[in-house]
Amino acid sequence: MSDVLEKALAEMGFALLEYRGNGEFLPIATLPTWFSEIWAETRNSSDPIPLTRQSPFLESFLLEAEDFWNSPTPAGCQSETWIEKALSGREIPVQARALLLDGNQILALLSPDAQFRERVRFLQTARNALLDHERLAREIQKKEILLHCIVHDLSQPLSIMHVAMDSLSEESISERSKQFLTLGKHAGDQQETMIRQILRTFSDDLRASLDAGTEGNVSSDLLECARKTTTSLAPTFEAKGVHLAVSSLVDLEAEWLVVAEESRLQRIFSNLLENALRYTPAGRRVAIGVEDEGDFLKAYVDDEGPGLPRDLRPEQIFGLFMKGKQSGGKAGLGLYFCRITVERWGGSIGCVTLPEKGSRFWFRLPRTSGRTAASPFDAPDASNLKSAKRNPGIVRPLRILFADDQEDIRTLTAYQLKRSGHKVVIAKDGKQALNAFRSASFDVVLLDQEMPGMTGDEVARAIRKTEGGKKERVFLVASTGNTTSEDVRRLKQAGFDDVLGKPFRLEDLNLILSAAPAATDTSMPSVLPGAIFTELVARVGGDEKLLKRMIHTFRRDTPKRLAGIAEAIRRKNPEALASLAHALKGSVSIFGAESARKHTQELQDLGRGKELSRAAEVLALLKEEIAKLQANLRGYANQTPARSKSNHAKRQRPSRNRGKRRR
Amino acid sequence: MLQKKVCMLGSFAVGKTSLVRRFVESIYSDVYQTTVGVKIDKKNVQVDEKEVSLVLWDIYGEDDYQKMRWTYLRGASGYLLVADGTRKATLEKAVSLERRVREEAGSIPFVLVINKSDLIRDWELDTALESQLSAEGWSILRSSAKTGEGVEESFSLLTGKMLG
Repeated sequence: MSDVLEKALAEMGFALLEYRGNGEFLPIATLPTWFSEIWAETRNSSDPIPLTRQSPFLESFLLEAEDFWNSPTPAGCQSETWIEKALSGREIPVQARALLLDGNQILALLSPDAQFRERVRFLQTARNALLDHERLAREIQKKEILLHCIVHDLSQPLSIMHVAMDSLSEESISERSKQFLTLGKHAGDQQETMIRQILRTFSDDLRASLDAGTEGNVSSDLLECARKTTTSLAPTFEAKGVHLAVSSLVDLEAEWLVVAEESRLQRIFSNLLENALRYTPAGRRVAIGVEDEGDFLKAYVDDEGPGLPRDLRPEQIFGLFMKGKQSGGKAGLGLYFCRITVERWGGSIGCVTLPEKGSRFWFRLPRTSGRTAASPFDAPDASNLKSAKRNPGIVRPLRILFADDQEDIRTLTAYQLKRSGHKVVIAKDGKQALNAFRSASFDVVLLDQEMPGMTGDEVARAIRKTEGGKKERVFLVASTGNTTSEDVRRLKQAGFDDVLGKPFRLEDLNLILSAAPAATDTSMPSVLPGAIFTELVARVGGDEKLLKRMIHTFRRDTPKRLAGIAEAIRRKNPEALASLAHALKGSVSIFGAESARKHTQELQDLGRGKELSRAAEVLALLKEEIAKLQANLRGYANQTPARSKSNHAKRQRPSRNRGKRRR
Repeated sequence: MLQKKVCMLGSFAVGKTSLVRRFVESIYSDVYQTTVGVKIDKKNVQVDEKEVSLVLWDIYGEDDYQKMRWTYLRGASGYLLVADGTRKATLEKAVSLERRVREEAGSIPFVLVINKSDLIRDWELDTALESQLSAEGWSILRSSAKTGEGVEESFSLLTGKMLG
């Protein structure tokens, strides 16, 4: 090789070596500087270099190179980049290529420094972006859980209030009491609107920006919050026979102001106390206290239970969805909420097993002075918010399985459902609900979402699995405080047919139940007898005008909906088919047209299952049923139900637009 | 002295390089620097009175940008399969890598190391999957390249398995 060519190759960074067997190579051109940096002893050497002994990577690559030298292929034989460390500590990227030139076995080594650095930069940026994206998604999930915890807690008592007031309004009470009741209901309506507004606003914010969780500095009295929570939970502790008290070691005169927002600080205490109660046997004691730690103030809850589980580290106990095996706890969000809230305020949280008996759950928060506490739920002016307009539903006697872990909601709701003529089986948790479902037949299963053991989602999936591909599916309703479009989509995916937002009212529930299939076929006959008209009028609250408007709307809109369904089938658009069929199902259900409802359900299922091969056939059947129904409804215009029955129905109907009507 | 080739396998950013650096040089850096290509280190260990030289092949984490080159496993006596406890998907990736190693290179001793135990509060591990893998006979250890927890133990356990 000419001197010029040799120098040119070295200048380009190539090291050319001829293989001499036994892992040794002889340089056939001037070696570049980087080569000598790695293998310094080769400098100025004319002896063969035992490269494979010095580089495990080359030792491995030699096997591939030998294969190539023995049977060359057009694809060649080239290594990926590997890193050799120079004696100076500098990491030098190297690539190897086996060549067969005039029968000579040549190894060409190159250090692709500039390209390599560029590639590293590209990969580093891409992977950092991926990691950032994952972190962002986790952060959003955390905040959504936090939000859902709060909304759930706000909704739960409101549901009880609604149902309790509804029940009360159907009792014989004085006019004055009715006025008070109306006031209470009105306030409940406002509160409900605010809760929904919070959920919607925060939920949107979470998706729009991660800054939603940042809060201004707020300050709360740690001891005062501890006392308030202790007072509010005292009856629960008493009921279980557990003694609850503020520790006698606490300095009641000191200032206990910390960085925290009061309502959530109380919730932290509440979660820790409820956790302690779960594990403390009757006759034992739970103590709550605070301690001064200089820049931080510490709060603790001591119980006399069995101590922390041995198979869990203390940090894990505050993890997401972490539940004790026999805790009887809820969704595993309580302690997780405590942790993320305390950490957001710049504090820390932990737990230990106490030396003698029981465990201590503690948290510490930065000390502050001055009080600027503000509720994070500064609600918008309620007067500007209008309650959603509700339509009454037609409720037929149904067999209903109702599961909720809150005893008061169970009792009140079951009472109301039975009053409406339904047969009700109640379950206090998910597992009990599933067992009940497997041992009897139901038309409707109404499931609370957050239940211990099995969540509503899990029960729904198990029910759908039990049903297999059967055509006759139970009507599944989710009861939840979280009703964003994302929540509803998730619940529908879990197998629910409808979602009942908490806090709910009987009319909400009735509206949903009106869409449920009846236990027996209640298809409308070809000519509607007067009794059925009467029943229809009764079921829309005795309001004939309303019924006529509904019929008018149905007759006007249904042809368009049918055309939309036909178009969705023609365009092979399963999502549109499912959505349009679902909408039409609600309409035909109102008029009790069971056969038509079944066909719309079938079309909806076909759309959801993206199986459109039978859709046209089912649509033809649906059109026949709709035609019958349209004819019957047309005939109704000439009939007038008995006034007295209508009035009777009016007295019996569930309350609707209560505030306005009574004014 | 016995020499054993050990490969480090797992998704990107699970801490393979950090585990090797902690094990070989007793150092750790919080800054994530992606590995492009292969880095090889050596460390001598003593297991059951036998001295073994471990040749550690720190192989880039497979993702959409870099596919695993299975020839790197040639001559490997064992491998550490690394997952990140804070990223559930990396455990699933580890499971699929193990299956592919079995298909490409046969049964080789390995240990599943779930790294970043210092961040255990943020773990999103599928404990059911972890239990299932243990029931299938997988050796699973938790580690933290940051604190050093479980690092020596992981390499020792693998070395013991490689020595049979």
